[in-house]
Amino acid sequence: MNPLIPIMVILPIACALLLNLLHGKDKTIKTLAIMVGVVLPIIPLMTSFGIHYFGGYAPLIDDPTIAQGLPTSITDSALNLFHPAITYAFASAQQLFIFILGIVAFFAIFTSLSETKRVSGVYTFLMFMGTASITAILLSDDIFNLYVFFEIAALAQVGIILCSGIERNYETALKYMILGSIAAPMLLLGIALLLGLTGNVNITDIIYSLKHGLIDPYNPLLLMSCGLILFGWLYGSGLPPFHTIKSAVYSKALPHGAALLQAFSVFTFVALGIIIIRIFSYLPLTQWAIIFFSLLAMVLGITMALMQTDFKRIIGFLAVGELGYIGLGLGMGTAFGITAGLFQAVNEAIITSFLFIGFGTILYKTGISDTNKLGGLLVENPWVAGLVLIAGFAMAGVPPFNAFQSKLQLVQASISAGFPELGILMVLLSIITFMTFVKVFYTIYLRPRPKDLEIINEKIPKATIISMVAFLVICLVLGLFPHLATDNLAQLAQGLV
Amino acid sequence: MNLYDLIIDKIQQIQDKAKEQEPVTNMSASAVLAAEITLISSVLIAAIMLRRISDILMVVVVLALFFIMVTAMPIIPRLKREQNDSLKSMEFYVILTLGVLITLFYWGTTHV
Repeated sequence: MNPLIPIMVILPIACALLLNLLHGKDKTIKTLAIMVGVVLPIIPLMTSFGIHYFGGYAPLIDDPTIAQGLPTSITDSALNLFHPAITYAFASAQQLFIFILGIVAFFAIFTSLSETKRVSGVYTFLMFMGTASITAILLSDDIFNLYVFFEIAALAQVGIILCSGIERNYETALKYMILGSIAAPMLLLGIALLLGLTGNVNITDIIYSLKHGLIDPYNPLLLMSCGLILFGWLYGSGLPPFHTIKSAVYSKALPHGAALLQAFSVFTFVALGIIIIRIFSYLPLTQWAIIFFSLLAMVLGITMALMQTDFKRIIGFLAVGELGYIGLGLGMGTAFGITAGLFQAVNEAIITSFLFIGFGTILYKTGISDTNKLGGLLVENPWVAGLVLIAGFAMAGVPPFNAFQSKLQLVQASISAGFPELGILMVLLSIITFMTFVKVFYTIYLRPRPKDLEIINEKIPKATIISMVAFLVICLVLGLFPHLATDNLAQLAQGLV
Repeated sequence: MNLYDLIIDKIQQIQDKAKEQEPVTNMSASAVLAAEITLISSVLIAAIMLRRISDILMVVVVLALFFIMVTAMPIIPRLKREQNDSLKSMEFYVILTLGVLITLFYWGTTHV
């Protein structure tokens, strides 16, 4: 067992609690938050792959000393293989996801600490708690443990919206909680049905029970459980019918908060999506449902983005639309498609953070997010405008950036999987994404400046510029050397097919 | 009334009362038109995937969808009105999706 595996979850939680205890000591809080933020992406790189059993309870087959003296009715049965402890699994794909989550969390916290006047308070606490929860969701092989962290992440997200101070943020947070109070219990019910049928919450054990005939894979309750877990997945990731509230959530958070929130959504999407494929891939309906909701998210997200005038809402809808690309990759059911989908997830987490923080500079300078009231900002900060333009190009899939590689792979995968229609749709919707971005960029930066537009005479913090440049470098590196990510993801994808 | 006028009229209808007096800009009109074309073409291309079930079904559904969508144009302003931030409409779609999903998974896999 590797002690660094649980540290990836424990460290941000401990830091979050410590930040609360240090309330008022702004300098100490800043130093501690930045130090832990720097460490977050480093830990997964230093951790060796393996499994961690909480309490040290390995399966009996792996620990003969415990198995000694037990009756053969246990040691000769499937119980010998089952996992009695909460199990965290850490492999190459988790390493990449947690590394990227750590990078986004660090830059979101770094930017917030430099842009926010009051460092003390619950905002940084919530950012660390949310990051810890999503890390646990990515690591956990225990579906009930995953649900617990799913709920903590949902509460952290609501808290991040409440801390923003943006007009009507309370209303959006309340709506998100009300909708969550419908969806999250349904996810729990799905897990409870799985537990009732298999007697297990460990995902590997549930799959073993299904594959070895311990339960009927077509038991109606098991099928219902699949539907309920899929519904929870839609809520957690913000796919339709939750796309409207999810985009509202992004628009009511501060730009650095929104950057982190969308990363939470992307990695929740990936973690739950992988679990659904692992357990229920034998049902063709699951594959079709994933494709259907992903397509719906793409079409509704991108067309609704075109219709908005608030740039935060536009990026929110675009972020929802981009989730669809990941889902299409997962839904294709081929190793190539799943690898491309997971690569798209990594890219989306980076690019959308880049865009939120980039457009956040407009909010910082003007306090306005309505594009009808903005214009002529290119002369104010041409370098920042250039970085925002590059972020938009990256999101639309323009070479040589990372999303070009993942979208190209997705199109290739769709053709080789026998779904050329999906490839055509992905190209079409990428063009519309590009068009939406160009429209926003033109209205904010290029058209004549409105006479009544007031610009705050304050420089954009260096931390914001550094974050944007760092995201640009990652976009370029992954665009030029995609195998740095895909090599890590291919192993997981092979195991899912 | 041609299609363009129809779309402009609908955009004015969905704008707030305060904004009703404002003219519709070229940009918002072209955005609605682009969204409309995207929606229709996406739905039709997606419907082609039904060929995996039956070619005849695919042809019938594509033709029916094309006819319905062309006669229902402009769709996007109506869709935008539905995709608002009203809690009631969000709850309606959430519960509708839950019902359809559970029905499909509970009965669809084994009883159809």
